[in-house]
Amino acid sequence: MKKIFLVIALVVALSLLIGTSSTLLAQAKQPYKIGFIVPLTGYLSWLGEYMKRGAEVQVEMINKAGGVNGRPLELVTYDDQSSPETATRHAQRLISGDKVVAIMGTGTAVVSGAVSSVANKSKVPAVIQSGYALSEKETFTFNNAHPTDFAISRPMMYFQKRGINQIALLMPIGPLGELGSGIARKHAPSFKITILGEEKFDVKAPDVTTQLAKLRTLNPQAIMAFTTGEPAALLARNMAQMGMNIPLVVSHGNATPGFLKLVAQTPTMVIVPSGKIMAVETLADKDPVKKVVVEFNKAYQAKYGEPGNYYSGQQADAVSLIAEGLKVTKSDDPVKLRDAIENTKGFAGNNGVYNMSPTDHQGTRMEDMILLTVKDGKWAVLE
Amino acid sequence: MGDFSHLVQFLFSGLTSGSVYALMAVSLVIVYKVSLLICFAQGEFFVVGALTMVTLVSKGLPMPVAFALSVLVAMVLGALVERVLIRPIQHTGVGNLIVMTIAISLALRGSALLIWGKESHILAPFSAGKPIAVLGATLQPQVLWIMGITILVLLVIWLFFEKTTLGVAMRACAENQLGASLMGISTQKAAILSWAWGAGIGALAGMTVAPLLFMQYGSGVMPMVKGFVAMSIGGLASIAGAVIAGFLLGIVEAYTIGLISSQFSDTIVFAILIIVLFIRPSGLFATTGRREV
Repeated sequence: MKKIFLVIALVVALSLLIGTSSTLLAQAKQPYKIGFIVPLTGYLSWLGEYMKRGAEVQVEMINKAGGVNGRPLELVTYDDQSSPETATRHAQRLISGDKVVAIMGTGTAVVSGAVSSVANKSKVPAVIQSGYALSEKETFTFNNAHPTDFAISRPMMYFQKRGINQIALLMPIGPLGELGSGIARKHAPSFKITILGEEKFDVKAPDVTTQLAKLRTLNPQAIMAFTTGEPAALLARNMAQMGMNIPLVVSHGNATPGFLKLVAQTPTMVIVPSGKIMAVETLADKDPVKKVVVEFNKAYQAKYGEPGNYYSGQQADAVSLIAEGLKVTKSDDPVKLRDAIENTKGFAGNNGVYNMSPTDHQGTRMEDMILLTVKDGKWAVLE
Repeated sequence: MGDFSHLVQFLFSGLTSGSVYALMAVSLVIVYKVSLLICFAQGEFFVVGALTMVTLVSKGLPMPVAFALSVLVAMVLGALVERVLIRPIQHTGVGNLIVMTIAISLALRGSALLIWGKESHILAPFSAGKPIAVLGATLQPQVLWIMGITILVLLVIWLFFEKTTLGVAMRACAENQLGASLMGISTQKAAILSWAWGAGIGALAGMTVAPLLFMQYGSGVMPMVKGFVAMSIGGLASIAGAVIAGFLLGIVEAYTIGLISSQFSDTIVFAILIIVLFIRPSGLFATTGRREV
């Protein structure tokens, strides 16, 4: 009888031991949680879908290769509904509730700016992707999108080469248009470009031929419009209707399959600044970006049946930058992680080669951008 | 002599935008005439019609067949909405009904998102061909289609509501439910028909203007707002007034943008609305006095 008790006691003790050791094992393998705020609904939802796919593909790639410091990455994803208020709430929840090591995500200056401000208040690193201009005080935020300055000066560089020196601006009413206009005026002189005139338009208007007719009286050699999606496509369509055979530059937000579909049948020459991921076949083999993009595209293709695009690649880079930082610090400490990301040097991503520093939290150069145009219903590289 | 082609282009631009507002306003007025209700889901019927047609055309159906089928789909949807959502609360007051139409609008927008996704879709113009050039300005041929279809719709509506027993009966229901039912008119039948009509015309508006725009699940909001303004300027229940006000709105917008600044176009449009509401609260083209039934 006693023997039986002894056996039972032994079994219980053993199983307890195994139990605790397996939890110990799990603790060692506890994932790094990365908070991910993304617009899955609302007016930015077209963007959110690409961002989400890019992040998930990259996390899977890293985890398949053994994770970071032997620990897998885990995304904690929340939908910000394209609203800064919701994004703020989710950022707070990610930090205090989910205890993430870093936050990333979300589109447009306003929404990602809200995330940045929460991250800096709580001193948790954030890697955002938008046209948001970082201030010096936001020491915990990185923005791995190509800066708006590059997206506007890159096409100007092309214009200068082509002898185009008189252009007109057609900007959307609102902060984005103000931003585009200001940056265009700032950079135009350095490329010897004269801005003949400027018109504004309502992005919801069903027709913009009025503004185009006014600009046409100035005889510009090209039109620059810092706008994305349907309004950008409508401009191209209205220019074709009026027989205006001059190039139309739109924002770098348009390098998506959705936008390509909208302008595929339009004869107007549309120029979209973008990242190298959109034209991987044109890259030289020695370009460090090529290897990254090819691998990312392969994984993306396997999962979604299409190659990655500008937005999914950009989001994947945010994951890589955080992962690289974790690899260097080997700790969960947010200040150390911030310092590690800030010291990223020569790190090749889909968007270019990142060289971060305390004064540069964006990391890429203007030469990391390329110019796309539409040929026979497909993207083609300009120049 | 200065080049004045841009002044003509302003007019064409106004006609293009105006055609979108006018057709939307017509569909709002029709619902109002038969149910004395401003239906906030009209923008969504507009989208459902256009996107159904996009799908049918992409499946290889000829344009006219796709057009007719899409109107039919929207009419069935409208009838269904009336039977399931409106009828149970129809005696609870106009306020509840309007809130219900807002709820329907949101529900339909959500459903459209699930069915057609977040992407924008393109519908080819009804007739191929180059833009029409006049004095150096250009107009898309689709705008002529919109005008033609608008006139046709006006004719059909007029014939239906003035010349057929069913049409007269429907107007009677709107005027006086009890009186109409005492005369042996089925008010329920009239209500379901009026929703089918409203949804059908909303869808028709969407399909006809879709080639000018890009269509996605949220595309109904702008035309709904502008259509509502045109409807208010034109007199809530006047179909001809809605058409004229719609085109006027577009033209005023275009010349404001062209001659003053695009930043003022909304301000001026709403200023006109306020002035009209002050001077003629029932709208520029409203028929005053009691309506004869």
